[in-house]
Amino acid sequence: MEQKAHLPFSVFMMLAWRNLWRHKRRTIITLSSIAIGFGLTVFSIGMQDSGHNNMVDNAINMGDGHITIQHSEYLHSPANHRFLSDGKSLIESLINENINAQIAPRISLQILASTAHNAVGAAMQGIEIDNDPLRKLVEKKIIKGTWLSADKPRGVIIGDGMARKLKVKIGSKIVIIAGKKGGDSESQLARVQGIFRSGIDELDKFLILSPLDYASKYLIAEGGVEEKKPLTRIAIFLNDDKSMESWKNILSEKYDTQEVSVLDWEDMLPQLVQYIVIDDMGAYIMQFIILLVIVFGIINTVLMGVLERTREFGLLRALGMSKNYLVYMVLLETVLLSFLSVVIGWTVGGSVHLYVATYGIDFSAMIPEGTTFAGTFMDPIVYSELSGDRIFQLTIIVFVATLSSGIYPAIKASRIPPIEALKS
Amino acid sequence: MSILLKLKDIEKYYTQGEIQVHALRDINLDVAEGEFAALVGPSGSGKTTLLNIIGGLDVPSSGSIVLNGINLSDISSHDLSKFRLFQIGFIFQAYNLVPVLSALENVELVMVLQGRDKKERTERAKHYLDIVGLASMMDRRPSALSGGQQQRVAVARALAAGPKLVLADEPTANLDSENASALLDIMFKLAKEEQTTFLFSTHDPRVMDVAHRIITLSDGIIKNDEIHFQ
Repeated sequence: MEQKAHLPFSVFMMLAWRNLWRHKRRTIITLSSIAIGFGLTVFSIGMQDSGHNNMVDNAINMGDGHITIQHSEYLHSPANHRFLSDGKSLIESLINENINAQIAPRISLQILASTAHNAVGAAMQGIEIDNDPLRKLVEKKIIKGTWLSADKPRGVIIGDGMARKLKVKIGSKIVIIAGKKGGDSESQLARVQGIFRSGIDELDKFLILSPLDYASKYLIAEGGVEEKKPLTRIAIFLNDDKSMESWKNILSEKYDTQEVSVLDWEDMLPQLVQYIVIDDMGAYIMQFIILLVIVFGIINTVLMGVLERTREFGLLRALGMSKNYLVYMVLLETVLLSFLSVVIGWTVGGSVHLYVATYGIDFSAMIPEGTTFAGTFMDPIVYSELSGDRIFQLTIIVFVATLSSGIYPAIKASRIPPIEALKS
Repeated sequence: MSILLKLKDIEKYYTQGEIQVHALRDINLDVAEGEFAALVGPSGSGKTTLLNIIGGLDVPSSGSIVLNGINLSDISSHDLSKFRLFQIGFIFQAYNLVPVLSALENVELVMVLQGRDKKERTERAKHYLDIVGLASMMDRRPSALSGGQQQRVAVARALAAGPKLVLADEPTANLDSENASALLDIMFKLAKEEQTTFLFSTHDPRVMDVAHRIITLSDGIIKNDEIHFQ
């Protein structure tokens, strides 16, 4: 056969488009159901991603940064005597790495805070009072007194829960006792300089912030050398979240030793990672169900369209249209349906996303103040977030799912024998 | 005139439930180029089956069909589609137009598949629609045309593609007498002007007045084959 059959794309498009609108009501109902399903998926993913990002951000900011360098045994067995003995060299070396980040030296101690009225177990965090990122978060929550200052080397900030328990006010004395490796203890006097209220029980009842030099006295008592600036850890707060993996690799290669570990927030907070994974799994199952509904919606519409046109397909085959052309034509109808669904779905879901991204949804009625999840907390007002990757991923998933749902009807159309079709 | 279609020893069996039906028996037939031939016979005599086999829509149980020098049993299903596209025009009993296309687009459709350029196919489609008297209705979709008008569009479509052979399966069966006569006149006129070979099945006695040749089928056998007039 030298002569070649040929059907231009424009004709395919015209036929597919007109076929799609042959039953306007059915197509509109299908499009609406797909668009609503897709819109809901966009909204739920936006909210979920936002919630997770918020929890991770809070965990990073309230915790120990994107990357933490600490004693290799501290993660699994935290104890005051497991510290970085030469914090000074380590800090200098890290500064020379030119990391686009804030580097915060910290001393974390498990202590007993004691007054004449009471004693409570607590976590003391020694920080650089001017530069540590914690200042930004805690200073605005101070309800009495002031932030730490260099002229008050024994000043500490405590939560209002602890203040109530210890029955202290601004200027009150607290004895801070830390256990030593050999069984002895080290005690130092501190004065309450500020009282904060974050609304998070774990912080308000158990956190004490002190100047780094004050906290270092306890490490020196454990054998640390003052000139070497002993530290529990160095917290690195990257300005670009996406650089975490590469910086972790670079720093691990250089600083990971038998005594020193370079960890990222995922290593530090495995329970949070697990929570996000489980939450994502639940969401994926829901999205899969929504996708199934979408796919069956399309299969129903396209297959109905094919079965109704059996005679017409027979005619087209009799006139000389090849099986392949019939497959393309039905697939193109599905592509158009998918494309319209994705566009309308994005319009619906995207509008809701934009609104929630701007104004947020207040969940404070459902999430009481101070509720923590997996070692971190979530802000009660959630603003939807969708990354470019997510937008691409969602679009491709729906497009591929809808397109693949047209394969069966297309093949069915092509297999109709023309003679049988013409009899129908 | 040279032979366009040659049927040799065509047999066709099919099963209906548990019964084997012998639809065509020992069909031997030559059709010359430019003939306007009618297949007549009662219902179930095998007219449609024979037309379907000649058109490559069905395959015989045995025997051979040579159309325009090509033995249809020697070519693949894909090539058979192409063969139909370029060599055969169909006019069916029920109007069989594509409902989402206008009259003009329906006539153009086969030429689109043939790969003719837009200008040529539009000109040809308009020309044939003019011949069948539908120039003023070329933008209408089938739902806005009467049965007779739709059948005339089907005739224009079959002719516009320039086939060697037009197969028409009871083209006047669904038409009233006025429309049926008009359609037959058009088909006859076109066959004569275009030198296109027509083979059509019919019950219509009016066909006897215009057909060159009347082939009578009964129980799948050619009972009579007479040249009516030349």
